[in-house]
Amino acid sequence: MLSMKNISKVYQTEKVQTHALRDFNLEVAEGEFIAVTGPSGSGKTTFLNIAGMLEPHTGGQYMLDGIDVGKLSDNQTADLRNQKIGFIFQGFNLIPDLNLFENIEVPLRYAGIKSAERKRRIVECLEKVGLASRAKHLPQQLSGGQQQRVAIARALAGKPRFLLADEPTGNLDSLMARQVMELLESINEEGATIIMVTHDAELARRAPRNIQVVDGQLADFTLYQNKTIEAVANATAMEV
Amino acid sequence: MLEIKPILRSLMRSKAGAAMLIFQIIITTAIVSNAAFIINDRMNYLSQETGYPEDEIFSFSVMTVGEVDNLSTLLEGTEQLIRDIPGVINANLINNVPVSGGGSASGFGSQPASERGPDTRAAYFTADENIFETLGVTISEGRNFRSDEVIVGSTMNDVPQVVIVSKGFADTHFPEGNGLGQTIYFGNAPMQIIGIVDKMKGPWLKDSAVDSVVVMPNARASMRQKFIVRTEADQRDIIMRDIESVLLEESNKRVVTYMRSMDAAKANYNASDILMVRMMTVIICVIVLVTALGIFGMTVFNISKRTKQIGTRRALGARKSAILRYFLVENTIICIVSAAASYASSLFLGEYMMSEFSLPALDNSYIVVTIVCVFAISLLSVLFPALKAANIAPSIATRSI
Ligand SMILES: Nc1ncnc2c1ncn2[C@@H]1O[C@H](COP(=O)(O)OP(=O)(O)OP(=O)(O)O)[C@@H](O)[C@H]1O
Ligand SMILES: [Mg+2]
Repeated sequence: MLSMKNISKVYQTEKVQTHALRDFNLEVAEGEFIAVTGPSGSGKTTFLNIAGMLEPHTGGQYMLDGIDVGKLSDNQTADLRNQKIGFIFQGFNLIPDLNLFENIEVPLRYAGIKSAERKRRIVECLEKVGLASRAKHLPQQLSGGQQQRVAIARALAGKPRFLLADEPTGNLDSLMARQVMELLESINEEGATIIMVTHDAELARRAPRNIQVVDGQLADFTLYQNKTIEAVANATAMEV
Repeated sequence: MLEIKPILRSLMRSKAGAAMLIFQIIITTAIVSNAAFIINDRMNYLSQETGYPEDEIFSFSVMTVGEVDNLSTLLEGTEQLIRDIPGVINANLINNVPVSGGGSASGFGSQPASERGPDTRAAYFTADENIFETLGVTISEGRNFRSDEVIVGSTMNDVPQVVIVSKGFADTHFPEGNGLGQTIYFGNAPMQIIGIVDKMKGPWLKDSAVDSVVVMPNARASMRQKFIVRTEADQRDIIMRDIESVLLEESNKRVVTYMRSMDAAKANYNASDILMVRMMTVIICVIVLVTALGIFGMTVFNISKRTKQIGTRRALGARKSAILRYFLVENTIICIVSAAASYASSLFLGEYMMSEFSLPALDNSYIVVTIVCVFAISLLSVLFPALKAANIAPSIATRSI
């Protein structure tokens, strides 16, 4: 469903040119759960942003469900994000002066979904993340793990087939991180394709497919054995 | 899809900023609507036509000092001397100068004052048959004074038998329009109206009865005699400059003072109103600017505070237009919430101004128009920062913490 061919991304600041991605090739099939690891600054967020159409790539071709993303207008990418993609951020990114219900409602309103249907979906998603009783609470009244679950509910409400998560457990302790991971796994089992960037080797190990970004390029490992991942992680750490 | 409900919720949860804007909008509307009303009121007044050819007329006073054999003869000679100056159209002795801010007024009734009937207030001028040409006004009904009807002398004891009035006076005192030929009383002395002047203003332009004027044929000479002169427009300044020496050549027992053109006299009389209009205009400009800047600043602040939120909304599928709309709708809600309070505070300020400065009552339409204008200005002030907000990159959502 996702295909990247020779994707490159260059950040041009006044003096410096940063090649955040180069010759980046990746194929993702429907229903996969991919963990992305790699050293800091290697281009993981850049990759995720391009995959989620949060920023344009500077070279190569990115096809999402057969659509050449590079050729879309700003409005079309906004609509496509809304329809196909659910985002989960490290900092949760809940809107502080909207309660949980209203936060989850945000993407549904942009999708033009009618009020009754919105309500039905919000309740359903809140139930799924176990926070149905807190619908009227404001984000700051919740713990970090709860907030991230709300953010996941918000990402799910639009029924996207594609979930992108940038260090979703980065701000959580290990217990909460495990709960969030379990939630993502169950979502994946229901059919959604998930790409998750993480620094947590243990969580990465739980994902069926691991990829590693090193220096803006992909080192593709399809590993199911925990030891190997650690070995690779150590090797790249030494390299850098 | 206007998102009114969540915007309203969000506003309710961060009231301070919104409350400040609402307060500012209320104050602005109250001050601007009242100031605009006062400006308009004053402009209407200032733009009224006097009907006199102001740029052709000037006046001055001649103070006679020491003993003179016959003041009347002397001053009538002076009058004739002025008329003979090239460029002068006509000149006349007069008790008070129209539009100058100084004059005499009295009640004129249909019966002697001793019978205490209703009367009509009018400014009165004493002059002779030359005054109408000198003032550039025309007698539209009836006739001018004959010279034998003019009482010459230096006292008020002889009251003339005839009188010419302005249409303003005639129509007020005789609402049926049959003033010509009627008799009116100045004190107990009867005078017959023999002519009506279509348009003539008294000395006080701000007077509600400014159009009510009576002219009595009385060439009264006094030790401080006012003269009014009409010239060709392009000759007036030269004649005003040279006339004093001509008058002193005739007699050196005099001082010429208060030389003033009619337009200068009018401007002088209106100076405070012109100042008021300017001040009000400046006040309106300043307060509108301050409000616009306030709304602008507030929006810029709100947007910088909400950068990550805006990026997140974009990531969740908001089009640029949805972000723009968010801030415009938010501002519209604030304006609508302010509207009723703005209306009330404008009326309140209007009543205060009315009782404190004897101004006319504030017209509703001014409040409504001001509310609409303030709304437009506030939308404009929001537009620029909101456009910038719409251009916040969605990648902010993952890039900032
Ligand atoms: N807006 C930008 N302008 C310039 N350079 C940028 C910009 N965003 C990212 N970069 C650079 O691109 C490179 C890749 O950044 P990216 O954020 O993708 O790394 P990352 O793998 O997500 O790192 P981390 O694990 O620390 O989150 C880095 O060198 C970074 O400094
Ligand atoms: Mg990153």
